[in-house]
Amino acid sequence: MEYRIRAYVDELFQSAPRTQRAYELKVELTQNLLDKYFALLSEGKSQDDAYNLTVMSIGDVQELFAGLTEDAPPEPPVPQAVPVPGSSRSALVVTIAVMLYILSVVPLIVLSALFGGHGDGAVLGVAMMFVMIACATGLLIYNHMTKPKAQPYVMPGTVVQDFKEWQSGKSQKKQLMKSIRAAYWPLVLALYFLLSFGTGKWYITWVLFLIAPAVDSIISAVLSLQDRNGK
Amino acid sequence: MSLASDMIRGHTDTIILAQLLKEDSYGYKINRAIVEKTGGLFELKEATLYTAFRRLEQSGCITSYWGDENTGARRKYYSITPHGVEEYNRMVAQWEQSAGLLQRLIYPE
Repeated sequence: MEYRIRAYVDELFQSAPRTQRAYELKVELTQNLLDKYFALLSEGKSQDDAYNLTVMSIGDVQELFAGLTEDAPPEPPVPQAVPVPGSSRSALVVTIAVMLYILSVVPLIVLSALFGGHGDGAVLGVAMMFVMIACATGLLIYNHMTKPKAQPYVMPGTVVQDFKEWQSGKSQKKQLMKSIRAAYWPLVLALYFLLSFGTGKWYITWVLFLIAPAVDSIISAVLSLQDRNGK
Repeated sequence: MSLASDMIRGHTDTIILAQLLKEDSYGYKINRAIVEKTGGLFELKEATLYTAFRRLEQSGCITSYWGDENTGARRKYYSITPHGVEEYNRMVAQWEQSAGLLQRLIYPE
């Protein structure tokens, strides 16, 4: 019978919030119900009567449980994924850039078809292709430079925040470098085609791909040197 | 009986505080005392009792602590605070005023 009372309370607390207070209340309630049950037995009630009277005396526990939820400690504020202002504009810019990349071959194809693939038409087509590629690349760089950085959520006033601030001073320069880097190789490729189509000297223009990494290294070296002197 | 219960339930806090004025006590013991005092005519439901305990604890009228019984049964004891005594006196004064008014109002001239 004692077990039945415990089981009853267990079932009752199935719908209770899982908090420390709810657990304590359960222990408290169980003990008091058992006290009552044994008192009823000692008054000469039968086991069944005592059980029923005890269980009936509990009453409506819903108001009791309602209070328990309020007692639950407030959850630490969850950093929300706030939509960065201007992110839709950023998406638009990227979309246009990609479209420009894809469409850049269209003038070449059209003009080649019109002029038979040789002469001025082809050169004009290639020139237009590179103009479009340049525009697209420019858009991408601009977008990257102006995009507000999505900072991970940091508790204000902590060491982490101080570190982040200290770091962001450096990283602005780094971001510029990164943008230039990203544009560099597409530009080299564009230059290669421009030179090749323009001059028709395909046998030699590939040298550009040897020169380009060298230039890249030199630029990086110069920039990092400046960076060190600047401090 | 049920109508009387409704009226009394509005004074649950006062009744509990009155029990705690004498000595610290726990849920069953308080309810037991209430049953004895009323000759078995009135008894608080467990849910009402514990809701009142929490309300009183939150308003600073009572404090609680876990007892240290040797028998293995752990009981939560409640103890009235000075603020609780003040509140109790205020509630009693209020009751006496209401009772006096009712006494005059519910009988015909």
